Amino acid sequence: MDARHMLIIENISKQYDGVRAIDRLSLSIEQGLIYGLLGPNGAGKTTTIRMIMKIILPDEGSIEIFGDPLQKVKKERIGYLPEERGLYKKMRVQEMLAFFGEIKKMDKGMARKAAGEWLEKLDLADYARKKVEDLSKGMQQKVQFISTVIHSPELIILDEPFAGLDPVNVNILKDIILEFRKKSHTIIFSTHMMEQVEKLCDSICLIDKGKKVLEGRLTDIKKQYGRNSVTLRFNGDGSFIGDLPEVDNVSDYGNEVFLRLKEGADSRNVLKAAADRLEVLKFEVAEPSIHDIFIEQVSSK
Amino acid sequence: MNAHHIIKREYVESIRTKSFLISTILVPVMMVAFLFVPLLSAFFVSGDQVTVAVVDRTGEVAEDFTGALDDTLKDGRPKYLVSPVITSSPDFDREQEELITLMNNERLDILIDIPEDVFSLGKVFYITKGERILEIIEKFENSLGDIILKRRLASEGLDYEQVAALTRGISLEVRKTTKSGSMEERSFLGEWGLVFMFVMILYMALLTWGITIQRSIIEEKGSRVIEVLLSSVSPMDLFVGKIVGIGLLGLTQLIIWVVAGLSIGFYTYYAAAHIFSYINVPPSVLVYFIVYFVLGFLLYASIFTIVGAICSTEQDAQQLQGLVTLPLIVPILVLMLIIQSPNSNIAVVLSLIPIFTPMLMMARVVVLQPDFWQILLSVVILLVSIYGAVYFSSRVFRVGILMYGKRPGMREIIRWYRHA
Repeated sequence: MDARHMLIIENISKQYDGVRAIDRLSLSIEQGLIYGLLGPNGAGKTTTIRMIMKIILPDEGSIEIFGDPLQKVKKERIGYLPEERGLYKKMRVQEMLAFFGEIKKMDKGMARKAAGEWLEKLDLADYARKKVEDLSKGMQQKVQFISTVIHSPELIILDEPFAGLDPVNVNILKDIILEFRKKSHTIIFSTHMMEQVEKLCDSICLIDKGKKVLEGRLTDIKKQYGRNSVTLRFNGDGSFIGDLPEVDNVSDYGNEVFLRLKEGADSRNVLKAAADRLEVLKFEVAEPSIHDIFIEQVSSK
Repeated sequence: MNAHHIIKREYVESIRTKSFLISTILVPVMMVAFLFVPLLSAFFVSGDQVTVAVVDRTGEVAEDFTGALDDTLKDGRPKYLVSPVITSSPDFDREQEELITLMNNERLDILIDIPEDVFSLGKVFYITKGERILEIIEKFENSLGDIILKRRLASEGLDYEQVAALTRGISLEVRKTTKSGSMEERSFLGEWGLVFMFVMILYMALLTWGITIQRSIIEEKGSRVIEVLLSSVSPMDLFVGKIVGIGLLGLTQLIIWVVAGLSIGFYTYYAAAHIFSYINVPPSVLVYFIVYFVLGFLLYASIFTIVGAICSTEQDAQQLQGLVTLPLIVPILVLMLIIQSPNSNIAVVLSLIPIFTPMLMMARVVVLQPDFWQILLSVVILLVSIYGAVYFSSRVFRVGILMYGKRPGMREIIRWYRHA
């Protein structure tokens, strides 16, 4: 086993009422990277994460974290932000955070101190003694995030961390995630918001209907799709484009199409054909965005 | 094990709530109120004056009767305003009609009509428009009865005092032997009150704290904090933490009550001595009380945990909670039976059914200590049931706390149990 692998999932499956929510899924995640678990709604992201967190058990397959089988893994080495956020509404903010620290095996004084520092850092110091229910939604989100990382875990798992956050808070969160990465903590996050993936992730795994569609370093994946990708914006009826001999695959957005060309096809032929029949506004040969890859992979299944 | 943090949070957070403070103070106050308000009301509530008219067709009773109506109100005014008293009239029926008109005009409360044949038939008419006040009826019945009895005896040449002395009844003085062989004076009324008090406190405490667990689970499901907790602690820690934390809370409240009760008892020593003289609580009873509370709580807690775990909303839970609490009324219904014959077969059998044991064994222990093997057996049966209930409910809990939406049926629950 490669010691640099933080998390190795092998062939896990989980069935609910006869439906395979996860179907022989395997992943491996390297230490010190930001790993994005992508997929449309209902793809099995949350189920996978819950199995990593030992909250539900896979029907088959194995999971290893820190080189140990899941049964032996100490939960205090992991920080987990569930998709469904939850706090104790009636507790005071700092006290509650200290409690979350304590159940992660921090000692009481340390937990209180860490809670204070985090609140300071996220501009919530004035609210330390307020009840959670008196905070705004955005503040509660930040408090929730603190509760996830208060014990500075080696592995941080965030399920849809940016959902419902305003752009300012998204940036704050992003900076903290990058800070953790700098200190070579490993971060896994699931999302269907692709812009974040592009900016943050080192590696991604795309899953759909419980199966892995794509996994690897972001740079490798992009290279693989690399120069074969064309973005074309135009005026006119572009429905013939998909039938061109060079084109392997089309994602049609109306006035803009995203094309994948066949192996060895010459993009100039496509431009010529398009220019003959359409008013071309933009023609770009580039690596595709994750968003495009995502759409293409998911919709082609 | 990571449960102690959960226990601590559960305990500390709940003990700070207003509802804990209020219930700790209010329940004993209400208990005392239920026991003493009827007594106190007799002392403090001063009634209004009552106007009474008498139509005495014999002409012989009215004088003694009005003489007997010498009660006074709190403020010293006479309670009964007796007028008019008609002892002779050419037409008694007309007089009576006029008085009834007076009564309809709210100027008369009670009309006493004494027929001529009262000495032979023993019947007097009490006519009123308002409510029947039992106390007044009893008073009138007694004084009229005495007067008429005296007249009858006198007409036979007998002396009333003498007859009364000769016909005095006897009363049974009940004493009970205890295990130590000494005899103690027991008042059945006091004993009944004592059993009732212990059983009711136990019943209420078990239900209240059981339901508290159920609600706490539903609340945490609702706020979605459960999954956050499960990233740090195991479902078993959570299960144990909730039950122990809230159990300790219940125990704390009971201990506060006992200590407060005892110290108030000592403080008002005279009252205490008076009360304890006929409700005699041996310390062992308090020990049994705590034991049955703790065991009963564990059993009920596991049952209510299931309710909490399979429901997503409070409304959802209420129906099910009603269903679960229904059989728990049985101990209250059969309580009289148990008090009357604490060692009958039915009492023994019922008190060994686990969900009834805490209340019924407690009742039996207070009334007449059962053989020790029965107590031991009840504890063993409770422990075994607790083990089973905890085993089952912890597994349902494990799955249920992450399930939202429709309440599962019995088959679904069994499936959870198998899967967990």
